[in-house]
Amino acid sequence: MNQIWIIARLEIRRAFFSRRALWVYLLALFPAALFLGRGVSVNYDRREYAAKPVTPATLLDRLPTGTTDKDALAAAGPPIRDRQWRRGKVEHRSLHYFDGYNRVWLQFENGALQSTRRVPLHSFAQDSRIYAGVFQYFYLRLAVFFGCLGIFLNLFRGEMIDKSLHYWFLAPVRREILVLGKYCAGLIAAAVIFGGGALLSFGALLSYQTTADIETYLRTEALAHGFWYVLAAVLGCAGYGSVFLAAGLVLRNPIIPALVMLLWESINGFLPELLQKLSVLHYLQSLCPVPAPLDPSAPPLARMILSPAAPASAWTALPGLLVVTALVLYLATRTARRLEINYGAE
Amino acid sequence: MAVFKRGYERYDGPLTGAVTRFLAVPRFVWPRLLAERFVLVLLLVSLFWPLLCAIFIYLSNHANLLPNLNEGGDAIQKLLRIDGRFFATFMNIQSTFAIILAAVAGPGLIAPDLANNALPLYFSRPVSLASYIGARLVVLFGLLSLVTLLPGLFVFGLQASLAGSSWLAGHWTLGQGMLLGFLLYILLLSLVALACSAYVKWRVVAGALVLGFFFVLAGAAQIVNQVFRVEWGSLLSPGYTIYTIWCALLGVETAADAPDAGECLAAVLVLLGALLAVLLRKLRPVEVVS
Repeated sequence: MNQIWIIARLEIRRAFFSRRALWVYLLALFPAALFLGRGVSVNYDRREYAAKPVTPATLLDRLPTGTTDKDALAAAGPPIRDRQWRRGKVEHRSLHYFDGYNRVWLQFENGALQSTRRVPLHSFAQDSRIYAGVFQYFYLRLAVFFGCLGIFLNLFRGEMIDKSLHYWFLAPVRREILVLGKYCAGLIAAAVIFGGGALLSFGALLSYQTTADIETYLRTEALAHGFWYVLAAVLGCAGYGSVFLAAGLVLRNPIIPALVMLLWESINGFLPELLQKLSVLHYLQSLCPVPAPLDPSAPPLARMILSPAAPASAWTALPGLLVVTALVLYLATRTARRLEINYGAE
Repeated sequence: MAVFKRGYERYDGPLTGAVTRFLAVPRFVWPRLLAERFVLVLLLVSLFWPLLCAIFIYLSNHANLLPNLNEGGDAIQKLLRIDGRFFATFMNIQSTFAIILAAVAGPGLIAPDLANNALPLYFSRPVSLASYIGARLVVLFGLLSLVTLLPGLFVFGLQASLAGSSWLAGHWTLGQGMLLGFLLYILLLSLVALACSAYVKWRVVAGALVLGFFFVLAGAAQIVNQVFRVEWGSLLSPGYTIYTIWCALLGVETAADAPDAGECLAAVLVLLGALLAVLLRKLRPVEVVS
C-alpha cells in the first residue's frame, strides 16, 4: 500500500496541474458555469417581468388553433413582443405574453395560430429535470468519458510517447503495484475534478431557486440527490478510467476502443434490454436520483424505438461497477507484467 | 556563435516542379493510410449505407415491380420519394463515418512533425506554409471523398440514370447542393483534424480531440439550449450547423425557430477562421528551447 501511495503521489501532480488537464477542467466545470449563467438570467427575468403587463391565462387558453393574429390581438390585447419574419413561402408571427407565471408565445403561420408555447418564468421541478438530463446526457456520457480518456491515457501511453516509461520500470517495484499506483493517481484526480464539478453544478442549480423551494428541498431530498450525483460521477471515473488505462497498456492506438465504447454507450438506449446492461452508462444512470427526460432533439422515429432498460437497483449497480473495474484492472496488471517497451513503434 | 568552417554549399540546381512537390505528401501518405487495417475496415463499413440507398433508389424507381406497393397510397409514395430529405439523411449518416476517418487519419499528418521538431527541416526546403497545409488538406480531401463525395455522386448518378432526364432537369440542384455541402464539410473536417493535430502534438490525444470536438460540442450545444431555453445554442454544434446548411442547399425545411442557414454559415465561417488561426499559430518553423 505504501508503494502504491508513493507512486500515486508522484503521478497526481501531473494529473492535476499539467497543461493538458486544462480542457478536463473545462469539461468538468462547463455545466456549473451554465447553471450559474442560468441563475443570472433567471434573476434578470424576475426583475424584468415584474414590470411587464400580465395577460390572464384564461384569455390565452381560449384561443383555438387557427385563430387569426388580428383576432388574437383583439382578444388578448397588445403583446410584450411582436416578431414577424418570413421563411420560404410562409409568413411567421410570434406574439409574446406573460400570464403572471408563464411566458407564452402564440405562433402564427400565414396569419393563423399554429401553436401556443408556454415556458414557466421559473420552475424548480423543470430545472431539476433539466439538470438530470444535463448530468446524464452530457456529464456522464461525454464530459466524464472524454475527461477520463485524457487523464488515464496519459498514465501509460503518455509515458510511452514521452519515452519515459522505462524509468518507472527500472524502479524496484512490481509492475502490478505500478499499475495500481498510477490508477489511484488518475482516479483521485478524476474523482476530485468530476465529483467536484458535479457538486458545483448541483450547487449552482440550487443557488437561484426561491427560498421556499430551497427550504423544502433541503429538508427532503437535496442531500441524498447531491450524494448520488457525486457518487455516479466518481464511479464513472472509476469505470471508464480502468478501461482507458487498460486500453493504453494493451493497444498502440487506444482511440479505437474508445471510439467503439463511445458508440456502444451512445446507441445503448436502442439496444435490447439485456445488451443495455453491458454498459457502464446503464449502471451510472441507475444511480442517478432523477430520471433523465428523453432527448428532445432526437427524431420521432428514434424516440419511438428508444426503450431504456429498467434501472438497476443501487445494490446491483454499485457492486457491479466495482467488480467490472476490478476485473479490468486485474487484466491490466497481467498485461503490464508482460509489457516490453518499444519506443520506436510510437 | 560565429561559424567559421562551412562544409556545405547551398544547392542552386533545378527544383522539382511546384505541383510535384505539392503532391509529394499525398503520394506517400495515401498508400500508408490505405494500408492501415482500421481505415480499410472503416471504408468498407461506410459503403453499406450508400449500398442500402442504392437499393432503395432502385426500388423507388421500380415500384411497379412490387404489386402491393401502389395500393399503399400516398404514404408509401411519399416514403419512396427521392428528394432533398433523402439526400440530407444520406449525407448526415455518411458524415459520421467521415468524422471517425478524420479522427484516425488526420492526427498523423502534423503531430509527428511537431513532436520531432521537423518543421525547420520542411521549411528549409522550397515549401511554403500554405503548401505545407494545402498538401495535408489534399490528403484528407482524398480520403474523406471516398466516404462522402464519391458515394454521394454515385447515389445521385444512379437516381438520375434510373429516373431519366426529366428528373435530372428538375432536381439537378440536389446534386449541386450535395457537392457544395460535402465540399464545405470536408474542408471543415480537415481543418479540425489538422488543427487538433497541430495543437496537441500527440497522435493519440489528437484523435480523441477530433472526436471530442464534434461529440462534446454537439452535447454542449444541446445543454445550452436546454438550460437557457434558447435555440441559438445549436450554433455551437458543428454537426448541426453543417446539417442546416445542407438542408438549405437541398431545399429541405428545418425547424422554424432554430438558427437559419445564414446564421449557421456565419458560425461555420467563424469556426473555419479560428481553426486556420490555430494552424498558423502552431505551424512556425522555430524551435523554442526553455
